[in-house]
Amino acid sequence: MELQMVHSFLESSAAARPDKVALVHDGERVSYRQLNRSASRLAGFLLQRGVLPGDRIVILLSNGVKYAASYYGVLKAGAVAVPLNVETGQETLGRLLDELQPAGIIVEQGGGHLLQQFHLVPPSVRFLVAIDTSVPGDEPRLVWGWDEALMAEELPEGAGKVSPEALASIIYTSGSTGQPKGVMLSHRNIVSNTRSITQYLRLTENDIQMVVLPFFYVMGKSLLNTHIAVGGTVVINNNFAYTASVIRQMAEEGVTGFSGVPSTYAYLLHRSPLASFRDRLPSLRYCTQAGGHMPREIKERLLQVLPPHTKLFIMYGATEAAARLTYVEPERLPEKLGSIGRAIPGVTVRVLDAQGEELPDGACGELVASGPNIMVGYWNDPEATARVLDGNGYHTGDLGYRDADGYLYVTGRKDHLLKVGGHRIDPQEIEEVLMSSGTLLEVVVLGLDDPLLGKKLVALAVPLGGNPSDRTLLSFCHARLPRHKIPGEIRLVAALPKYPSGKIDRASCLALCG
Amino acid sequence: MNVKDEIRSFVVENFLFGDAGELTDDSSFIREGIVDSTGILQLVAYLQEHYQVAVTDEELIPENLDSVQRVAAFVEGKRSGVPCADSEG
Repeated sequence: MELQMVHSFLESSAAARPDKVALVHDGERVSYRQLNRSASRLAGFLLQRGVLPGDRIVILLSNGVKYAASYYGVLKAGAVAVPLNVETGQETLGRLLDELQPAGIIVEQGGGHLLQQFHLVPPSVRFLVAIDTSVPGDEPRLVWGWDEALMAEELPEGAGKVSPEALASIIYTSGSTGQPKGVMLSHRNIVSNTRSITQYLRLTENDIQMVVLPFFYVMGKSLLNTHIAVGGTVVINNNFAYTASVIRQMAEEGVTGFSGVPSTYAYLLHRSPLASFRDRLPSLRYCTQAGGHMPREIKERLLQVLPPHTKLFIMYGATEAAARLTYVEPERLPEKLGSIGRAIPGVTVRVLDAQGEELPDGACGELVASGPNIMVGYWNDPEATARVLDGNGYHTGDLGYRDADGYLYVTGRKDHLLKVGGHRIDPQEIEEVLMSSGTLLEVVVLGLDDPLLGKKLVALAVPLGGNPSDRTLLSFCHARLPRHKIPGEIRLVAALPKYPSGKIDRASCLALCG
Repeated sequence: MNVKDEIRSFVVENFLFGDAGELTDDSSFIREGIVDSTGILQLVAYLQEHYQVAVTDEELIPENLDSVQRVAAFVEGKRSGVPCADSEG
């Protein structure tokens, strides 16, 4: 019978290959048997604490073995895993906990402030598991140590039974506009997407994935689930800032897959020994990129720098789609370099007009996706849910078109469109031109309020070095863009604000402009 | 100011908005969320410019750069010609 629950992936791999290494982190190597046992014990502990199906358990941990054990343990107990960024500010954390009303929270040292400030913890919380702390005490009590929690009896497999339609996880979007929204994903959503991904990437138990993206971000979650599903190995490295340590570990561990967002690759190309390790990555079968549009210039350079046997998968998705919607087959990438590809198995992506009618090839509209991976809705926000989900599927907010071969192209985001002096302008096109100058690490084009034009285009650009002047960049734009698309100003800055996933935080960039 | 103090003030000014808070010479920049990957690039650019030392791609490892203490030792090693750790291990 096909597995229907997310944690069944772990259980099935642990039964098939108990001694295989599931996770590698900071010198620790954890087998499938060990990981599954820890998750089952945590599930046993959760049931002892009275956790019921559908209860939310917040996971405030950085990537590591305990994160994975917590995630699968919560699911085994029939509860809902809500991973949050460990660096969430007090105010946002308070608001999220308030709307989630979780039954329990699993925190690490970095979340220690939470323990000290009990006023943040809503009354729904019956326990906290502090993973770096040993907290002796008599019952009833609130705080438990990790080792103590794992002394519980293992929950027998299947004991926390819930339906495949039940909620498995709530993942918060980075909230490029407005407040972050909690995307509700069912077991069915995640399981179906995991299957599609393992299928098109042809993942097997021989795959070893280097993970530098956070697990609380949907793409990181997907890397974990897909590799656990096939019985592969996940190598966790939380030191991406030190790119040489990541590349070195990829060579040492014989990593077969690496995944990143556009800025991940921009950094690797700019400041890492990737090129010099070209001959030392014989196992690197593929690299994947998702998490937003990656400039053509970076794709081209990446194709030159990666070892010749390494395939590059350009992909597209959304938290609301449990991660993935489309990909470009690496064989067709050179001719479809600007494309996000075609829908993954089991998913349909159509280009619709504002009335919900499908548009012909070449015509620009909104990308609307349907399939078993599309979210149940936003947590506690039926209005926001109704704005994006309807009979046609999930309205991605991305604008684009399909070519005659059925390949999709994203031209920009609906909510990033800027109205400048009567023209509707998509900043992505201008960003692409600026990046093609080859002198920038990254760039963002924003609209600043302007009494005359409505919005005035301003580019924030991070030079690669050698400091190109704003005049040179502007004249580069002049040669390639119509006048109304040329930024009124280009400001050279040291860095662009980003989300922990590595995606550019446009709202904070705008705030930088003053 | 010695090298360690200079690096410390660079980190405090650029990444902690002037508030040294609980930053010690051994605080891990990454684990304690003080500096992100963009910040490491800024730090390296500062070292190259201010101390006129070359930092190779292979030297971008936590052993060289992940605390005030380590950065100071890295810079001092460079200036005195002592070989630094690189990704060859």
